Amino acid sequence: MKEIINWMAEPIRSFPTFAILFFLMLKHYKTVGTKKFAYISLAVFFPAICWFCADPNFIKIILWPDNIPINILIITITFFTWLTLYKCAENDNRIEAGQLPLEALPENREKVWSWPNLVYTELFMIIACTIFLIVWAIIFKAPLEEPANPTWAPNPAKAPWYFLGLQEMLVYFDPWMAGVVLPVIILVGLILIPYIDTNPKGNGYYTFAERKMAITGFMFGWLVLWIYLIIVGTFLRGPNWTFYGPFEFWDFHKVEPMYNVNLSEYFWIKIFNTPMPTSLILREIPGIIITVIYLLMIPPIIGATKFGKKIIEKSGQIRFYIFVMLVLGMTSLPIKMILRWLFDLKYIIALPEWELNL
Amino acid sequence: MAGKGIADYVRGTQVWKSIFRHGPPENARNRAAVVAGNVFLHLHPIKLKKSGVQLGYTWCMGGLTFFIFLALTVTGVLLMFYYRPTAEYAYNDIIALKEHVPLGIMREIHRWGAHAMVITVWLHMFRVFMTGSYKPPREFNWGVGVILLVLTLLLSFTGYLLPWDQLAIWAITVGSNMAKATPFMGHGGPGAALAQIGDFVMVSDKNDVRFQLLAGRFVGEPALLRFYILHCVFIPCIVAVLIAIHFWRIRKDGGISAPL
Amino acid sequence: MSEELQLHLNRREFFSYLSVGWITFTAACAGMASLAFRFSYPNVNFEPEMEFLAGKTSDYEEGVDERWKNGFGVWMVKVEGKLFALSNICTHLGCIPNWLPAELKFKCPCHGSGYYMTGVNFEGPAPRPLERYAISITTEGLIKVDKTKIYRSEKGQWDHPSSFIPV
Repeated sequence: MKEIINWMAEPIRSFPTFAILFFLMLKHYKTVGTKKFAYISLAVFFPAICWFCADPNFIKIILWPDNIPINILIITITFFTWLTLYKCAENDNRIEAGQLPLEALPENREKVWSWPNLVYTELFMIIACTIFLIVWAIIFKAPLEEPANPTWAPNPAKAPWYFLGLQEMLVYFDPWMAGVVLPVIILVGLILIPYIDTNPKGNGYYTFAERKMAITGFMFGWLVLWIYLIIVGTFLRGPNWTFYGPFEFWDFHKVEPMYNVNLSEYFWIKIFNTPMPTSLILREIPGIIITVIYLLMIPPIIGATKFGKKIIEKSGQIRFYIFVMLVLGMTSLPIKMILRWLFDLKYIIALPEWELNL
Repeated sequence: MAGKGIADYVRGTQVWKSIFRHGPPENARNRAAVVAGNVFLHLHPIKLKKSGVQLGYTWCMGGLTFFIFLALTVTGVLLMFYYRPTAEYAYNDIIALKEHVPLGIMREIHRWGAHAMVITVWLHMFRVFMTGSYKPPREFNWGVGVILLVLTLLLSFTGYLLPWDQLAIWAITVGSNMAKATPFMGHGGPGAALAQIGDFVMVSDKNDVRFQLLAGRFVGEPALLRFYILHCVFIPCIVAVLIAIHFWRIRKDGGISAPL
Repeated sequence: MSEELQLHLNRREFFSYLSVGWITFTAACAGMASLAFRFSYPNVNFEPEMEFLAGKTSDYEEGVDERWKNGFGVWMVKVEGKLFALSNICTHLGCIPNWLPAELKFKCPCHGSGYYMTGVNFEGPAPRPLERYAISITTEGLIKVDKTKIYRSEKGQWDHPSSFIPV
């Protein structure tokens, strides 16, 4: 059983599993968003987690002080994802039945005094938060390792947990992509959301049915690409950034063959059986063509489909192209991951001479 | 009844009346006065829609983020009394904080608070997205929020170096080496090799963005000092200004979002 | 008519003064910002020596020598009739790889890049081989390693005469 879970947890299997589960969850959000579902899954998962925690290797990773925030993050995000689905399902059922969403009911639109309604809620939350932090601080000591030594790197050397999603991307992309370009795309994309999403519905109340695309896109990036990668980077990456299953001992000598091949090598050596051309541009021409097609051809193609035409009609050309470019930036990560797993592909464009590897 | 008598007496004194200019918030007039007349409470509107005070709707994550920011400011200032940002002292000062200073959990509260703040900021953004609260008229405030999110991560990241242990130095080494790969601005990034005239390299490890961040070619003592200043003064100041804008705009854009 | 013209000119004049004022203000702000930017680049910093003497060629046996790794960040590698000074900075994200004598490779703990003894990358995310430093023999017969000069394989610089010592 433990072997199966270890085997399943490897990104090549767990990423598609997680993505499929995510889409199933959104498809059946009205089933997921019920109290009954919550109680049943709690009843199923609680013993399972207890059984997980009985494993010494698992509990060691879980209880490492700097991993505590991630445990808290996983618990809170699970709860709040369920909560929003619950709220969405509640409102969507009402809207379907021709009623107003809960937040729009007259009794909820009624104005109440900030004192005591708001102020006391805040006071209560502040006290709860203070107690939580103090208890946390008493139970878990802040980690302190040996003094800094610039000549010897610990193994594994990890970034702070909230950047581990980026560090995990580094397995698939070069630093200039994973560390600079993709974060910039994420930030610019986040800031642009209100200007791209012109759907006037769903302002000020929970709903899924009225803004399916926006919520699916956001939650995919947030849960599948960001949180999932953080979990993998924290719990499942051991020495040498090698993959270790949740029940596996972090053995420093675990060797994993990682012979990755560039697209240009596939193209020239394996298909045409010729030596690599010496001209850099000629050598990388297949990758360059694919990249150009990906960035310049796909947007107009999507724009010509029925789906694309509908968006252009609703929100205009500029919004549409910005939206598609951002989505292409986001999907470049899963695409590269899949190419790596299926074909051991290292770079689509490999120009180490110019530090330009993609 | 003696307690009531004392409370009434205290409320009647000149001192009490000089501080609280209105009576107890038991009637509508005083409830308005207490929120409007108090510099801290007047962040709030006097009245607001009932949906906006329900925990199930707001999750209180934005408020908690602000509270944790304040808590981190207080604990951070206290920690500064015992911490010297030099390679010689930093590590020992952290040990001293644990062993020779009363209330040895101050650093723990600061560190776990920093992690908690990252979580609450993310959940706040999640909630704001799910309720569509970024939609007009709140687009600008969403942008301010995204920048605040980045600054929160940077605050946490700069603070990560300060204990000056192996965990710190290598996390920052990995992180700052990404700056090296910035296109055209880092010496290890695409485009840097093109900015070369003969033997003269225009973007080298002595003048790129990583050098500016670390004040050196690797994470050393100048980087520690630089991160300390960024962590304690530079970024908090920007964050404080942006928080003010963020709160101001919440009020000006019509308070907590509700159905139109 | 002339009065109106007068007024008009005055207004135009006023706007031109205003724009000169704004341009000056913007320029002053930009100047201050660039000074602050330049301020963040110190002229001198106190980092370890970039040059060191690494003994005689006869001190080294075939294979990887780690004696200069902690002090200067250099592996002395003697292989295939060449002695060269290999940088110990991973070309991926600047971590310090470890030499694994049993597997005859350098392995980076951060993201798992692997390099052969020659410094050529063969596994993991490293985009290019490790760098080599300039190496020469002084008049006293000692090896001098100069870390300010870097030789990179993918640029074809490893054939450069000062990137290795024939032994």
